[in-house]
Amino acid sequence: MIVAEQKSLEEIRRMIAPYPRVLILGCGTCMTVCNAGGESEVSFLHNSLRLAEVRSGDGIHTFTEHTVKRQCDPEFLETLSEKTIDVDVILSLGCGIGVQAIAEYLGDIPVLPGVNTSFMGMTKESGVWDERCAACGECRLEDTGGICPITRCTKGILNGPCAGSKNGKCEANKDVDCAWILIYKRLERLQQLDKMRRYYSPRNFRAIPRPRRILSKVEIATGESDG
Amino acid sequence: MNLTNTSHPGIHQEDASDHSLIPPCQNACPLHMDIREYVSLVSQGRIMEALQVIRMGNPFPSICAYVCTHPCEESCRRAQVDKPIAIRSLKRFAVEFGGDRMIRTEAETKYSDKVAIVGSGPAGLACAYYVKKIGYPVTILEAHSDLGGMLRVGIPQYRLPREVLDTEIQRLTHMGVEIRTNTRVVSLDLLFELGYKAIFITIGAHQSLRLGIEGEESPGVIDGATFLREVNLGIKPSLGRRVMVAGGGNVAIDAARTAVRLGVKHVSIFYRRTRSEMPADPQELEQALEEGVKIKYLSTPVRIDRENDRLKMTCVRMELGEPDESGRRRPVPIKGSEFTKEFDSLIVAIGQAPQTPSDFGVRIGRGSTIQVDPSTLTTNRTGVFAGGDAVTGPATVTEALAAGRLAASRIDDYLQHRYPLPVKETNEKLSGELLPKTIEMIRKIERSEPLSLVGETRVKDFETVEQVYGWEAAINEARRCLRCGVGVEILFQDKCATCLTCLRVCPYHVPRLDNTGNINIPADQCQACGICVAECPAKAIVLRKPFDRRQVSEELTHTIKLATESKNKPPIIGFCCQYGLFGTGTLSRLWRGAKAGVTIVPVLCVAKVEANHLLSAFETGAEGVFIAGCGEQCARENTTYWVKQRVEKVRKVLRSIGIEPERLQVFTLGTAVADPTEELDRFIEQISALRLSSVIKEEAIS
Repeated sequence: MIVAEQKSLEEIRRMIAPYPRVLILGCGTCMTVCNAGGESEVSFLHNSLRLAEVRSGDGIHTFTEHTVKRQCDPEFLETLSEKTIDVDVILSLGCGIGVQAIAEYLGDIPVLPGVNTSFMGMTKESGVWDERCAACGECRLEDTGGICPITRCTKGILNGPCAGSKNGKCEANKDVDCAWILIYKRLERLQQLDKMRRYYSPRNFRAIPRPRRILSKVEIATGESDG
Repeated sequence: MNLTNTSHPGIHQEDASDHSLIPPCQNACPLHMDIREYVSLVSQGRIMEALQVIRMGNPFPSICAYVCTHPCEESCRRAQVDKPIAIRSLKRFAVEFGGDRMIRTEAETKYSDKVAIVGSGPAGLACAYYVKKIGYPVTILEAHSDLGGMLRVGIPQYRLPREVLDTEIQRLTHMGVEIRTNTRVVSLDLLFELGYKAIFITIGAHQSLRLGIEGEESPGVIDGATFLREVNLGIKPSLGRRVMVAGGGNVAIDAARTAVRLGVKHVSIFYRRTRSEMPADPQELEQALEEGVKIKYLSTPVRIDRENDRLKMTCVRMELGEPDESGRRRPVPIKGSEFTKEFDSLIVAIGQAPQTPSDFGVRIGRGSTIQVDPSTLTTNRTGVFAGGDAVTGPATVTEALAAGRLAASRIDDYLQHRYPLPVKETNEKLSGELLPKTIEMIRKIERSEPLSLVGETRVKDFETVEQVYGWEAAINEARRCLRCGVGVEILFQDKCATCLTCLRVCPYHVPRLDNTGNINIPADQCQACGICVAECPAKAIVLRKPFDRRQVSEELTHTIKLATESKNKPPIIGFCCQYGLFGTGTLSRLWRGAKAGVTIVPVLCVAKVEANHLLSAFETGAEGVFIAGCGEQCARENTTYWVKQRVEKVRKVLRSIGIEPERLQVFTLGTAVADPTEELDRFIEQISALRLSSVIKEEAIS
């Protein structure tokens, strides 16, 4: 799941300052799950902004709110056109993808990001999320006992642990487990320690030019699919 | 004010329908009383409203408050955690503190068809009450000199004070019910000739069953019903020093305890089965034992010989054999186990049956009961209805009241030539046991019984044994209610992102992930604490009752509206729990008394106050906002924890827009910190100081 954090109220207020009529747009999928931009957060932000307006006394803004199931699919955005008739800007609480999807879908209205899209991760406990995947496009979890050194090692090294590993913790942050110690222990449990003896060559960043695209269908010549 | 959900207009219009389930207590009640509701009102100290709810389903709540056998408590699910809610005692509290005595019922006569009620027991009185309320002229015909039937001649005074019964009967008289005592009805035809259009027969079951043994006719042998009737009508039968009571029902216990109160030194109940088969109310049995009554199980008299003015009883020991048709194991005499004992008198209380005059011309069925259609209470004769013990055989007061109420509406149907409409239950019934993991998390709170007179004192007279609760005890007892069936539901399944927040925040481990990957919140486990409603990031979860859903928002809007009207903005808004001590107990004076500048938004548990409510309070111009909850004394788990989480979230917003975060505070009871009253006083001072400084600042700027 994509994990994000809502931007500070100050930053949001600075962004919306030039636009009097703001639609706060939530996303019902990842942003709901990570408590950054679901319907509840949309409404909380709405109330916070209004309170800020009242307190600062410069109340030029009017706010509306709406939440779609998923901002990153244009079909879910079809309801938006009627919501945006009297709107000067959309403050999207979707992830970076959502913001771009809306910008692409509604060409004439500016879209502002209300959250900082942070990482791909998982819930540790209610209200706590941890990063787990860097989307490197070259997954090596097979060799590392299901523990990703690219995200979980501070340095992202492929052949660890480094000399900074101390008592199973990382030298950069003593609260963070050393990913390579975790990998070692897991491989030991799986009786695959031989995997630790291999050398992994550096990743070839040139091999994955951006933007990436995944095609899970084949091109079929016109006419062929009709029959 | 934007407190409602506007994000999905048209699609998710707030559903105003009530999805609550019928709790087991209500389901078990013959009168189908809204017990959960009135217990909840008592727990908020709203006694008058509680009484109103009680009166809606019960014509004579004060009577039930004393004598109801409370099947509701038997089915109360709190028993799975510790002990059931003391529902009857709470009802008595509501009846007495809510001023039931003062309530006058008015009824006007709308129709001319006269209705006769034969018998004035609970069924007859209830029927008279409702028939009169609907608008028919009613006459009650009673064979005895006083009204009340078994309430008067069967139930001993220590269980039902006669003033209570008299008050209810006065109420009927006030409504305009015609009463004819000392009038034994021998023929229904005569009544029809006198112009009555419908007759309700409710003559009770006063005929005692006999043991059918040798010597039963001897002097010194009296049947239970007659004995109780004589005592209740002021005759003092002389019983001697040693009395045996045969039987194991409530009448046997009543007879034994009455005998004790008449000064009999040795009272022994002989019952042919064991305690677990005994039909008597366990509490009554307990009280009888406290009063010195002895009970001999698995014994029954088989022969009575009268020698030297005493009864020589030959008894036999029993053992339990195969279950009989009642489902209880049949007692079988043990051969050669005969023994003899001497008593001065014997009270036979092994059951009663109705005795319907054959001239009534109604069909009699099993056990001499009148045969009726159970859903319409009609007999084989047109215009003749029957109910109460005369139909069911000896049963409870509440069942009789229910029969009377049903008869009234059926008589109305009959007189209006209407086809009786089936009673439709719109809401589902709650069923299912609490799961062990839910039970484990529910706070165990001792059931508090109202005080009772001590055994030695109470046997001296017929004073009511059970006393009424005090204010605080009643409220604390009512707070134990688990509020079965009013919990939460995922109303908008399509909004649910299956984020599992509910599953993680629920203190009772109620939400479940099913094997299709959907979240379920089983209604039979939910404790209605409301934490998940406030925490759901998709706003997909709601409380099952529309009133509960809107309560905080509506109270807040109301408060704000009042403030706007008075053009006097409330400097401090406090969200204050209405349950328990904050709302109604020792600390209620905090809010009732005029504390300058503090406006209270009453909430039903602070866990239901959302971060948005706090922001809205500030938006109205409040200088300070606080939440006051029960803390460790809360009947639910983790409520303070979640309140504090929300408060921190709001404080962050306040800080970022230049409002001092100290303007938002949480006060809880039961923490080690000093008296919350003092804390609150300090908070108010602090707010005034902040206000002053901001005024000075503004002045300085201008």
